Order: sequence, then structure tokens, then C-alpha cells
Amino acid sequence: MRSYASSALSTARACFSLFRIKTAEGFQYRLAWISGATVGIFWALIEITVLAVFYNYAENKEAGMMAGLTLKQVVTYVWVAQAVWTMQPMSIDSDILGKINSGDVGIELCRPIDLYFHWFARIAAGRLAPLFWRGSLTLLCGMLMPPAYRLSWPASLPSLLWTVVSLVCAFLLCTALGAFVTTVRLNIAWGDGPVYMFMFIGSILSGATLPLQLWPESWQRFLLWQPFAGHMDIPIRLYIGSMQPGEAHGGVLLQVAWILFFVVAGKLLMARRLRTIVVQGG
Amino acid sequence: MNDLRLYVKYLRLHFLAGLQYKGWPLMMLQVLIVVISEPIGVILLISRFGRVGDWSSERILLIYALAVTGFGMAETFCRGFDYFPWRMIRSGDFDRLLLRPRSLFVQVAGSFFHIHRISRVAGGAAITLWCLHRLGVQPTALNVLVLVLALAGGCLVYSGVFVLTSGLAFFTIQGLEWIYILTNASYQVTRCPIDYMPWLLRRFFTFVLPILVISYLPAAAVCGWGRPYWQGLLALPAGLLFLAFSRIVWRIGVRHYQSTGS
Repeated sequence: MRSYASSALSTARACFSLFRIKTAEGFQYRLAWISGATVGIFWALIEITVLAVFYNYAENKEAGMMAGLTLKQVVTYVWVAQAVWTMQPMSIDSDILGKINSGDVGIELCRPIDLYFHWFARIAAGRLAPLFWRGSLTLLCGMLMPPAYRLSWPASLPSLLWTVVSLVCAFLLCTALGAFVTTVRLNIAWGDGPVYMFMFIGSILSGATLPLQLWPESWQRFLLWQPFAGHMDIPIRLYIGSMQPGEAHGGVLLQVAWILFFVVAGKLLMARRLRTIVVQGG
Repeated sequence: MNDLRLYVKYLRLHFLAGLQYKGWPLMMLQVLIVVISEPIGVILLISRFGRVGDWSSERILLIYALAVTGFGMAETFCRGFDYFPWRMIRSGDFDRLLLRPRSLFVQVAGSFFHIHRISRVAGGAAITLWCLHRLGVQPTALNVLVLVLALAGGCLVYSGVFVLTSGLAFFTIQGLEWIYILTNASYQVTRCPIDYMPWLLRRFFTFVLPILVISYLPAAAVCGWGRPYWQGLLALPAGLLFLAFSRIVWRIGVRHYQSTGS
């Protein structure tokens, strides 16, 4: 029992320093992330333009209000969504993918730390630097826009606090999902196809293409309960106040439940995969 | 002529090599899903808000599909330039091309080819045909010509964007991500009903990067949206012009090239 506890501790310590190293490394590529931010900003502007056209000129202009979102809230939604968008795993960590493809997984297995949490730390660190640079630039730009396009302040102070809590959960959820997908990718024969499809559908269901509240009425219950809502939609709902601080604990609990689900699923799947893994190359 | 033969040979080679990877049908399916689901936001918006003025979902989708198909064709036939900054300059592989006594342009264009990119063309073309059918467009010879020229123009414009990226890559390899504004992000503007598009966006995507010239104008001509018909034929000249400009940047870039890598 004691040795188990100490090995868990050493894994945690090793993973934490890995996380620190990787994060520091990620911060070196400042220019790339800043350059990426321009794309996010451009994307947000187009998105806002399209939404504003519908809110102002459509046959049925009141539809947005009836769904519980004002134009001001939607504009804010788009900015925050672009700012935190890089949190989502849209591809498998290139380092890990390289190891899987080249057969270096064998070397990874020799390390005396738990492979799942090792990769978890790596995946988390890989996305922190882009999130910081791209996110802060996008938010800054959103605040400096002319009024019609401007990012608004959070609905209230409790809303902001809950948003921060929910964002941390979202980051963990995205990482757990990334780790899960990576373990699926351990089976080389499947290739990248199914993994990318999964991640792509996830990005749509997270509200990146359209705030989930504007989707058809009859899907709303499903949309809120599915795991990808925890990526972006729940934190942003809290920020813009379409989910009141009083209901926030429900949303955060849902996120935590999905985090646990994906961590357990990922660990189980990895244990199974490693039993039959074929290491390529020599 | 010789160059064209070489280019076809390159593509054939990559095509056959690509077939060896058994996962390619899945990759095709994946790209197809992307193409079909990207405009889902607009479709859902219209289903909730109703149409905007004269703008139904078919109209918006038609313009979107024309732009996407052009982009897909460029991605299929000019993939080498798309990959150039990352796969050729950084690794120093470009030096080897310089040594060969053949056209640089053809060698780079043919250096990569991915089978699954064809599905963007297929998906885009399918959406285009469906929209044309729903909008009741007659398949007269002139209409067909306008549409074919639109696709050719779209292919040239986006090839031009790739060539431009490659040209710029000679000066800086870092922070080239903003170029996505001209590629994947650029055709997103077609989701906005053109009559309501802000003046600046509309001018930029007509006169600087002629996305609307290869999508909106031909669509307007074919469907009769009250614009002069001849404007629909501008797609090809616009594409040629943009590609010519990009080639100048590319030439300057090549002249500046100092090898990287080892």
C-alpha cells in the first residue's frame, strides 16, 4: 500500500515537472501563436457579422431573443469562444503522434511513471501556451472593437468567478478527451481518420460554429448534456449570464462527471491496448 | 508541354503511392464531413430566424459551395505549394529541386498530392448541383460555361494564395499562420448574405482577394439576381491576375533564397 502511494506521488511529481518544461517550451513559439490570433480575430469578426445580419434583418428577428440570447450576448459569446478555442484538441499532440508512428512508444513504456498521466501532462502543457497568447490577444482585441462588435463585461462578479472555475474544468475536460483520443490512436492501423472525425464533431457540438442555445429547440436538452458542451458552451453561458450563478454548480458538476468518465475510459482503454500493442520499427 | 507531362507523372506517382495506405477512404469521408458540416451554422440560423430578405439557404450555400469547390481543386492540384513552407524550406529539400534542370514551379506543385482532398471538390460540387437544382437554374450552354469558368477561376485564385504563401516563406518561416485568413477562413465570408456585408469586407474580397468574383458574381449571373450577366465571366481573368501577382512574389522569393537545413 505504501509503495503504491509513493509511486503515485513520484508519478505526480514527474508529470508536474514535465508539464512545467513543456509549458515553458511552448511559450517560446510566441510569434506563431500571435500570428494565429489574427486568424481567430478575423473569424470572430465574420461570425459576428453573420449573426448581426440575422438579428437585424431576418424575417423572424425576435427568434434570437426568444432563445434567450440578445445580440450583445451573442457578440460576447463569439469573442470568448474564439479566445478559448485553442483549448480544444483538434489534433493529436505531434510529439506523441511521432512516438506512436515511429515505435518509440516502447521507450515511453520503460519509464517508471504511469503512461496515461505522463501523456495527460504533455497534452495539457502543449495547449496552455497557445491558449494564453491567442486567448489574451483575442480578448484584448474584442475589448477595443467599436461598440457594435465589442466584447462585454461578464454579467456579474459571481458569474465571473463561476466562469473561471468552469474554464479550469473545461481545460481538464479537453485534456482528458485529448488523452482518450490519443489512446485510441495507439492502434496504428486505424489511422487518423476516425480520430479527426471525433474531434471535429466535438468542435461543432461545443458551440464553436453556433452558440448551442441557437440550435433547434427540441435538441436543447441533449445539447446541454453531451460532453462537448463542457468545452466552451457552459463556461461562456456563465460569462454572458444566460446561465445564472445559481445554476452554475449543475453545469460544473456535469463537466466534472465527464472529466471522470473520459479519464477512466482512457485509462481502461490504454491498459487494454498496451496488453496487445505492436511496437513498430526497431 | 514537357513540363505538363512531368506534372501529370508526379501526380500519378503520388496517387498510386497514396492508394497503398489503406486508410484513405476514411480520410475521404472525414474531409467530406467537414465540407458538409461547415455551413451547418448558417442552415441552423435560417431554420430559426427564417430567410434574410431574398437570401434563402440555397442562395447562401450556392455561393459557399462554389468557393469551396475552387479551394478544393487548388488543394488537390497545388498541394505542393500549400505544404512548401513547412515541408520544403524548413527541411532544406528545396535545394535538391534547384539542382534539377526542370521548371521549379512544376516540381513544387507536384511535390505533394493527397487523394482525400478530392472529396472537398466532390462535396462542394454536389452541394453546388443541389442548390442549382433547387433554384431552378436552366443548364444552358452559357450557364454551364459560366460555372466551369467560375471553378477554374476559383482554382487559380486559391493556387495563387498557396504560391503567395510559399513566396513569403522565403523571407520568414515563423508566424506564417495569419495566411489562413486567405485560405480556410476566407471562404467563410461567403456565409454572409452579400447585400448585407460590410463595405470593407466586400471590397477586400472583390478587389484584393477575388473570392466573391469567383463565387458570388457567377452565381448571380446564372440565377439572375439582377446583376449584369457579363460580370459572371470575370472569374477566370480575376484568377489569372491573382496568380500572376503571386508568381511575381514567388520569383522574388526564389531569388532571395539562402539555403536552410543541412
